[in-house]
Amino acid sequence: MITRSAEAGLAAVTGEPSAVELVGVTKRFGDTLAVDSIDLAVDENRFFALLGPSGCGKTTTLRMIGGFEEPTEGTIRLHGEDVTGRKPYERPVNTVFQSYALFPHLSIFENVAFGLRRKKVGDDDVKRRVGQTLELVQLTGMEKRRPSQLSGGQQQRIALARALINHPRVLLLDEPLGALDLKLRKEMQIELKRIQHEVGITFVHVTHDQEEAMTMADSIAVMNEGHIERIGSPHEIYEDPQSAFVAAFLGSSNMADAVVVDASSGEVSMGGCRVHVGPGRLPSGVSSVRIGVRPEKLAVHHPGEATDANTLTGTVTDVSFIGVSTQYLIQTDLGTSMAAVQQNTGAPGFVPGERVTLSWAPEHTFVVR
Amino acid sequence: MTAATLNRSEKAAAAERRRRRVPYLLLLPGGLWLIFFYILPMLQLAGTSLKDGSFAGGYHFSWEISNYGAGFTEFSSQFVRSITYAGLATLITFAIAYPLAYFIAFRGGRYKNLLLVLVIMPFLFPFLLRTLAWKIILADDGFVVDSLKAIGLVSHNGRVLATGTAVVAGIAYNFLPFMTLPLYVSLEKIDHSMVEAASDLYANPRTAFRRVTFPLSMPGVVAGTLLTLIPAAGDYVNAQLLGTPQQSMIGNVIQSRFLLVLDYPVAAALSFTLMLAILAMIIPYIRFTGTEDLVA
Repeated sequence: MITRSAEAGLAAVTGEPSAVELVGVTKRFGDTLAVDSIDLAVDENRFFALLGPSGCGKTTTLRMIGGFEEPTEGTIRLHGEDVTGRKPYERPVNTVFQSYALFPHLSIFENVAFGLRRKKVGDDDVKRRVGQTLELVQLTGMEKRRPSQLSGGQQQRIALARALINHPRVLLLDEPLGALDLKLRKEMQIELKRIQHEVGITFVHVTHDQEEAMTMADSIAVMNEGHIERIGSPHEIYEDPQSAFVAAFLGSSNMADAVVVDASSGEVSMGGCRVHVGPGRLPSGVSSVRIGVRPEKLAVHHPGEATDANTLTGTVTDVSFIGVSTQYLIQTDLGTSMAAVQQNTGAPGFVPGERVTLSWAPEHTFVVR
Repeated sequence: MTAATLNRSEKAAAAERRRRRVPYLLLLPGGLWLIFFYILPMLQLAGTSLKDGSFAGGYHFSWEISNYGAGFTEFSSQFVRSITYAGLATLITFAIAYPLAYFIAFRGGRYKNLLLVLVIMPFLFPFLLRTLAWKIILADDGFVVDSLKAIGLVSHNGRVLATGTAVVAGIAYNFLPFMTLPLYVSLEKIDHSMVEAASDLYANPRTAFRRVTFPLSMPGVVAGTLLTLIPAAGDYVNAQLLGTPQQSMIGNVIQSRFLLVLDYPVAAALSFTLMLAILAMIIPYIRFTGTEDLVA
């Protein structure tokens, strides 16, 4: 709830309704609870990602925005307008399907023009807009071909063009890059971001690929088991995941249980070892918490050379050199195992069995629920 | 070095030749079958259709083109009736089979296979028996005629059996599975996201059907209508059992010319005329429906 109001805050101040707003939306399929009472607000012109593992309810959420599924409970608003219960063809949104779903019996021109034809747009206008849109996705000259004559990447762009030509208020993308190979996927990530900037339409993008979400989205909602774990900018949710699930799903983390010593100064105790967490991150009125720190935030030193406020001592158990960085596994004196990633700056590394001190800054320590 | 390389390239060339032969070898059984049981009998039939003479005195090949005239003079009404009945039966079958196949493909769920078995079930009974059963169903004192009389579709002393209606109904019934199965196959293949995409692009359910589902089912429509129309045009069992000589189709004429009158040349000429007439109808049909686009 806190994250939601923070997200909605800007829109509330300017008085403009959010592009997409879900209030208490629940979806049940028989006995299965696919989406569990989620609240979500996406601001205008955002590139918004719904991120989560398969079966977390992200696609169902997207399909409810598109109108392909009706929520069991809750309200869906698009720019302040209640669209709950409206059919897909009555909603000002368009979808890029995971399988592209291009019409095999129609030419590329007619595929892209499909929405305009239904809106009875005049022939000259259709021709002009198809031309413009194909230019936008850089596939000019393909008008006469059939979808089966295009490569996977080209089909993906046509699916995008077919949706964008209608100037939807919101564009929904259901794992649009899932079928592409890695190189093409990287290209399309940049391409999609360029197109979103160019057209200035709110994109809601469903993906299970955390790197893809981080690369492209302005805001990310991480979903798990039908509810939203965390909403925020990629930076916010990575640095302060707030939930154990998000910490594990986005990159890797070292997690440990700690007892609160002094909530106001952020001081906690890990098995007798005093460390500090970032300001304001300790929830009030709680005596024990679970804290975490990212492996790349840990600095590995020779004993006694530590610079940061939080320190732990231990022994190196494993070293893996991967070129750009080195990954250490360290058995701490508290009995826990911690991973640390050190940039390859040319400095000599450590070897297994060596005694080391780990150190990190309080602001790099996060607290999870 | 050269000798060894030569030897190796020769071996590779031989392997390549063998590899190219494989498809032809695979075609051989089917090809032989077609040559002996389709092309040769056709040629023989073509020869017969140009013979002159009588059964008693023997038939002789004599380029007797006049045999073909019979189809347009003596038996023109049976020709027209065949095409009309077959066409009507195809339309009726299509009207019944399309919704049926649509329902099984999109709403059948876990009962899909059961429903398909039910569609094919009539095939477990012989063709003749099924048609004879219709004779009983459409009998003058049967419940069908009684019900039709009750709602006024059949006059008080009217009948259904021994009319063109009975023959068309019989054909439509007998060929229903031939229409349903290809329609089902092509509908079942349609990715549901196509229909969702149409809906997403402002097509209401009717427009989505007209612009997406139906065009995508065209291969099934063409296959189903051809599988019904072609054999129906040559059918004679339904006309014989459910009709009278007034309802006789070209198939009845050919059958009686072959088996009763023993006038082989005219029977053969009628068969060829029927075949050419059907070809003349379906070639523009296939062209017009443009299914070659979908096969690609």
